[in-house]
Amino acid sequence: MDYNMEDTQNSAPDALEASKLNSSAQRNDTQSVTKRLQSELMQLMLAPSPGISAFPDADGNLLSWTATITGPAETPYEGLILKLSFAFPNNYPYSPPTVLFKTPIYHPNVDFSGRICLDILKDKWSAVYNVQSVLLSLQSLLGEPNNASPLNAQAAELWDSNQEEFKRHVLARHKDLDDE
Amino acid sequence: MSLSKLPWNHFGPHHPFPDKQKFTSFYRDSLVAPALLPPLGISLPAVFTPVSTMSNSTNMNALSPDEMERFQKLSNNYEPEIQGPLVSAKQSSHGIAMEYANADPTFITKTNALAITHPMTRIMKGDGNCGWRAVAFGYFETLFNLRDPVRVDRELRRFRSLNTLLDQVGQQRELYEIFVDATEELFTQTLTAIHNGDHDETYLVNAFNVEYDSTAVITHFRLLTSAWMKLNPHEYQAFLSLPIDQYCSSRIEPVRTEIDEVGLQALVSGVIQDAGLGVEILYLDRSEGDTVTPHQLSQNCPSGATIRLLYRPGHYDLLYQPEPPPVNMAPIVNYQYGMTSNYTPWDQGTLSFDVHPHLMSIPNLMADSTFGGMGAPMSPISSVSPAPTSPFRVSPTQDLYQSPMQSHAAVPPMPPVSSPPPVMPSAAPPPMTTLPSRSSDGPQIRLNPLVMKPNLSHSLPVTTPFKK
Repeated sequence: MDYNMEDTQNSAPDALEASKLNSSAQRNDTQSVTKRLQSELMQLMLAPSPGISAFPDADGNLLSWTATITGPAETPYEGLILKLSFAFPNNYPYSPPTVLFKTPIYHPNVDFSGRICLDILKDKWSAVYNVQSVLLSLQSLLGEPNNASPLNAQAAELWDSNQEEFKRHVLARHKDLDDE
Repeated sequence: MSLSKLPWNHFGPHHPFPDKQKFTSFYRDSLVAPALLPPLGISLPAVFTPVSTMSNSTNMNALSPDEMERFQKLSNNYEPEIQGPLVSAKQSSHGIAMEYANADPTFITKTNALAITHPMTRIMKGDGNCGWRAVAFGYFETLFNLRDPVRVDRELRRFRSLNTLLDQVGQQRELYEIFVDATEELFTQTLTAIHNGDHDETYLVNAFNVEYDSTAVITHFRLLTSAWMKLNPHEYQAFLSLPIDQYCSSRIEPVRTEIDEVGLQALVSGVIQDAGLGVEILYLDRSEGDTVTPHQLSQNCPSGATIRLLYRPGHYDLLYQPEPPPVNMAPIVNYQYGMTSNYTPWDQGTLSFDVHPHLMSIPNLMADSTFGGMGAPMSPISSVSPAPTSPFRVSPTQDLYQSPMQSHAAVPPMPPVSSPPPVMPSAAPPPMTTLPSRSSDGPQIRLNPLVMKPNLSHSLPVTTPFKK
């Protein structure tokens, strides 16, 4: 009994030291994140979903991607090409990527800086979500905004009251980024 | 629970924030908690008293509702820098009693009692994963402590087979692979540690403190639990306020979402229980009583193979009972063999196999619980007769030996029996001769499968010894 206590107490400093060996641990993390993102990229290329695409930025940093969503039919965004940026954290997929609309968009759940209010990108993020499922969720958010918690209150109100006017705002705000 | 209704002096360190378990380790890691209270909403009066004194006000009323709201928002959004390892080394449970030294008397009584019944504890970091982490760590630690490589290997295979659950609920293999890999790595490390004769579970504590990899293991456990619930909705839906798919995607699968009671039960039933391990929760709260309230989550809680969780509102840690006296479990059966083998000779002629001494010494060979503990596997009957059908070589449990003495008078001399009357071994002990004449309304005792003959019915009617 006493011996056991002594042993575990002796082990404590080791345990702490091991958790502080960050350099090697972090390198492993980066490798794991890279591996996961490569596998996601592979999936997107082998089995593309209609209306969405994503690819790592040209700078060779796998932690930042650019994605596009084509506005779904029978929504005010029909046919519009919307660009987004993905920034993946070092502990991806155990934290969500930061996703922003780069294309200016008029939408109840997106503010004028392109920030998105979507629960799966915040506290409902799960490690089995990926770029593809985020893009599909955003695609459906375009046609079904969550007007209960709007970032753009005017857009939320207009969506409910006047779809014609809403669409005019969408088209007025939209600006293709293709020239970049 | 309204905070304003709670009497101040009744706050245990963990009590005021049932939903914010992130705070618990913050408290725990600093016994100077009162000095660090300011960020928490509940302590606003204490914080701002000095400020408001300077502005010639003496209480909170000096703050306008707007300011109050602003401070409340600040305190709601405050996330303390959580200190400490993800999984601590084993430490004395007296530390828990110390935390509550100034708390409600109920807590003081219960934590002091706890330090005696469960002298050691292991603290989980309160980052939203603590319940999951406690069970996952406890699972591997218990496996390691059993030091049975065959069992670890069996568990590894079982976990691999659980991938089919993930497939059935539509999880993509490319995505869950990395979580499965992390779990398998822990099995491998456990096997290595057993083979190396590692003295303690340091390897496991180290592994669980590598956050990226241990989060992968926890994610694996989350996904298995979620799949189990989705595939067995009838067992859980009644306890949920949400449709089960929605519940899983909002309460089980999200990273850093703390486990709730339904989720914990599903984790135990779907992932842990088939390992033959038990799980018990000990609730530490202000309910009546002098001890923490135990609750068994698995059907059995075998000693030496049970994960014990300490639950305080919003937080889980691990608890350990006193180490058993240094007696190896396996030799207990060997001792019995040693004792019974003094009775010679064995009635080997009636057995369909060789009574191999090594076979008899295998612990747990008699899986039937009827024979657990004191029951010797074979009764030491001298075999004078060939006893062709003597099937009544039942383990001489206390019941059997006592029954004839107490119930002879009440039982009709020779009621009709369904089985053929046995040829009685001349030197057989009394129970053997009287057994078949028992009336059939007694308890059913299952026979030792090792001595059971094909033509023998599977149960043997005997009279309860206490029957008048």
